[in-house]
Amino acid sequence: MFELASSSIGGQALFVLPFGDIVAYFSPFTAALFLFALIFTLVCIYSRPEKSMDIVFGTDALYAKEVTGKDLHFRRFMAIACGIATMGAVTSGDVFNFTLFVSMVGVCIIGITASVKNSQVQNTAFNYGIVAMLATIPLFGAAAITLAATGTLSIWELSAMAPAMPWIARALILVGVMGEGMAPFYVAKAELTRAPGAPYVLMIHVSSLLMFLRVVEIILTV
Amino acid sequence: MSDIDNLIALYSVIVIALAAIALISFIAVPIGYEDTQIYPKNINTSSSLNPYDRGGEPFGTTEVMAQYPQNSPNLGSVTAYLTPLSALMAVSNLYLGTTIVSHPGGIIDEILYNTRGMDTIVETSILFTAFAIASFLYRREEEK
Repeated sequence: MFELASSSIGGQALFVLPFGDIVAYFSPFTAALFLFALIFTLVCIYSRPEKSMDIVFGTDALYAKEVTGKDLHFRRFMAIACGIATMGAVTSGDVFNFTLFVSMVGVCIIGITASVKNSQVQNTAFNYGIVAMLATIPLFGAAAITLAATGTLSIWELSAMAPAMPWIARALILVGVMGEGMAPFYVAKAELTRAPGAPYVLMIHVSSLLMFLRVVEIILTV
Repeated sequence: MSDIDNLIALYSVIVIALAAIALISFIAVPIGYEDTQIYPKNINTSSSLNPYDRGGEPFGTTEVMAQYPQNSPNLGSVTAYLTPLSALMAVSNLYLGTTIVSHPGGIIDEILYNTRGMDTIVETSILFTAFAIASFLYRREEEK
């Protein structure tokens, strides 16, 4: 193992994976987040989608909304991509790399809802898509301010010289993740999850929750 | 706030408010520019590759800074280079840096592909995800 500026980030580093300047790491906290994302991605791979039931008013009849065929394949593919992006975001050891993974999660969330043929859900996905696009400005702005003010992007280096990240960069990265993960905008999330196909649609919740936990950890560390 | 159509306006207000606070705070308490940058950039306005001239010498050894040099043992041996077409354009006029020409860009490639290769992979993954969504929606329209 090579020398790092800081020996511990949010607890003892369990495992370090160097990709050049980007050093991904598992602390007990991020390892727990990673395991959660991994388990949920496996659920998306192996589980059949749920069939949401609608009762016809005044009778005993039931509608089952099934997700089948190409729709199923595409949504499963997007859910798996979203899970992989979430795993990358929770383990990344670099501020800019983290923002890239977060915007990839945002694109994948739009993809999960893109195949739903329901105008209400489509409208919500469209609105959310614009918010996700807008959110890239504070996200990458925060990374740029961090690089200009500290001269480095590595979370290891930043945590060694903490508090290094300007507070405005922290606020910007938080607002960016709020936009990508829709964390306070439950109105949009409730409408998006009205789409049938449970394990894939719930990936939206899981990924935004994990991203938010990770960004809080980053803000407290650097 | 509970209306979905107000979502964009709500988020825009948050972003604009934060940008305003940022501007005011930058005026009140300026954040200093760190001089020891890990990815330095110098603007050389007389260069024909301006503003993308990051230094480096074709077919020579170029010094490249890295956060963790021990992770990049081949650092500096992938030197600054241009394709023959880009080199021709660079010597014939001053505007190569302003064109959208697909050419390897010297030391910027060195940084991107050698020390920050993970970023390039994730960036292209985002693009491919977006292409996958767009092609799926397009094909679905065709099938009707």
